[in-house]
Amino acid sequence: MKTKTVELVASPRAPHFVGDGFRVHNFIPSGFRLDMQRMTPFILLDYNATYNFPPSSKPKGVGVHPHRGFETVTIAYKGKVAHHDSSGGGGVIGEGDIQWMTAASGVLHKEYHEEEWSKKGGDFQMVQLWVNLPKKDKMSTPKYQAIKNEDIKRFTLENNGGNIEVIAGAYKDVKGVASTFTPIHMLNAKLNKNGKAEFQFPANYNTALLVVEGNIVINTTEKVPTDHLALMANDGETFEIEALDDAIVLVLSGEPINEPIEAHGPFVMNTKEELKEAFNDYNNGKFGFLEA
Amino acid sequence: MYNTNLKTFLTSNLDIDEKAVLSLVEKCKVKKIKKNEFLLKVNEHCKHTFFVEKGLLRQYSIDKKGKEHILSFAPENWFVTDRESSYFNLPSSYFIQALEDSQVVLLDASFIQLLSEEIKSFTDFNNKLLHNHIRHLQKRINLLLSASAEDRYLQFVTMYPDILLRVPQTMVASYLGITPESLSRVRKELARKNFNQ
Repeated sequence: MKTKTVELVASPRAPHFVGDGFRVHNFIPSGFRLDMQRMTPFILLDYNATYNFPPSSKPKGVGVHPHRGFETVTIAYKGKVAHHDSSGGGGVIGEGDIQWMTAASGVLHKEYHEEEWSKKGGDFQMVQLWVNLPKKDKMSTPKYQAIKNEDIKRFTLENNGGNIEVIAGAYKDVKGVASTFTPIHMLNAKLNKNGKAEFQFPANYNTALLVVEGNIVINTTEKVPTDHLALMANDGETFEIEALDDAIVLVLSGEPINEPIEAHGPFVMNTKEELKEAFNDYNNGKFGFLEA
Repeated sequence: MYNTNLKTFLTSNLDIDEKAVLSLVEKCKVKKIKKNEFLLKVNEHCKHTFFVEKGLLRQYSIDKKGKEHILSFAPENWFVTDRESSYFNLPSSYFIQALEDSQVVLLDASFIQLLSEEIKSFTDFNNKLLHNHIRHLQKRINLLLSASAEDRYLQFVTMYPDILLRVPQTMVASYLGITPESLSRVRKELARKNFNQ
């Protein structure tokens, strides 16, 4: 078994607002060597680093918009988000919860700070990931997996090292609750100071670590500070992280989907024709309707 | 600066090789502007035709009551100018503003002259572009005078397939000459037809 080494450590890029409710640093796909082809099946990673939103009687967020061809995964670390969609679904993503939305053939949705939370304001910290779908599933029926924090299975690390929340895939003998279309491991490593965790993924899986809290060292040499992302090389299977202080690390590893990617705005398809069709379908009401 | 879109636009429409186009295009000035910044304001003199390399512009006027009216959107590969100002040397009645961070190529009369001299097929092509522009304007006037909100909307999304996802719906409503509520009704009705609700 070979060691998986660090390919690069990316600093957070200048933040931008998505709507007026999400102040995000984009890592994938606009970061250096973090494009969609390199990172597949992870095709977008927006990170709202901890940001204090003042109280607002009108909830901030993103208005009605469509998606087609992939899944959106929202991981709430701090704050609360309410969402609604064109199939009549909706819910609240609270601290520690995950919302895994398979947009597939298409949904319209909107996401806002939850009303009561918005009135009080406070620290807000979230990750939104886009996970690509293989060609055969791009036009499947949309669905949700609303995963509450208490339903996430955990692996307890030895020596009081902390625990690993398994969102999808597996960590050692603990399996994740989320179902995925292609093999994906998605973990929240919650480490105590000096806590250590080992990971093992196939060499060809694209793998990245986002340090959400604290500072860590990978393979005893590569330091990764808070709000930075480490891209792992595809040169081996195993690596180890150690927390320099109490830390939370989002660990992503997925089998590449080796199919053409054509992306424009909120649609990610395989061909230009399919993109054109997505715009036509959206313009002609085939995604349904959702009140603003 | 490398104006890829303008170069492709010219080579795919004119009988000219890439190298010759490149040397011409390199003579043009390029301007980068941030979202909400202006290329033209009312009462200024418009000196250029703007070719959009990247981003999105709008041309609009403001009426006596302070209400905005959008004449046109100009996404990538579109030209926009105020012809009354640039060709008749009158103060402009319009604003041209960036709706996204944009990059535009500034084309002036001397560049058009240069193209006419250096490329034989340019004059014919330029005439064709002008006729096409007039055809669109005639269609647009006719739609504004006679068409239903739904027909105006369907014509709009044919011409501008991705604009609805790039600008607030109030701007699309302004372009269509309908209220935002009417636009919402049109979209709701189209969705209803698709879902047989």
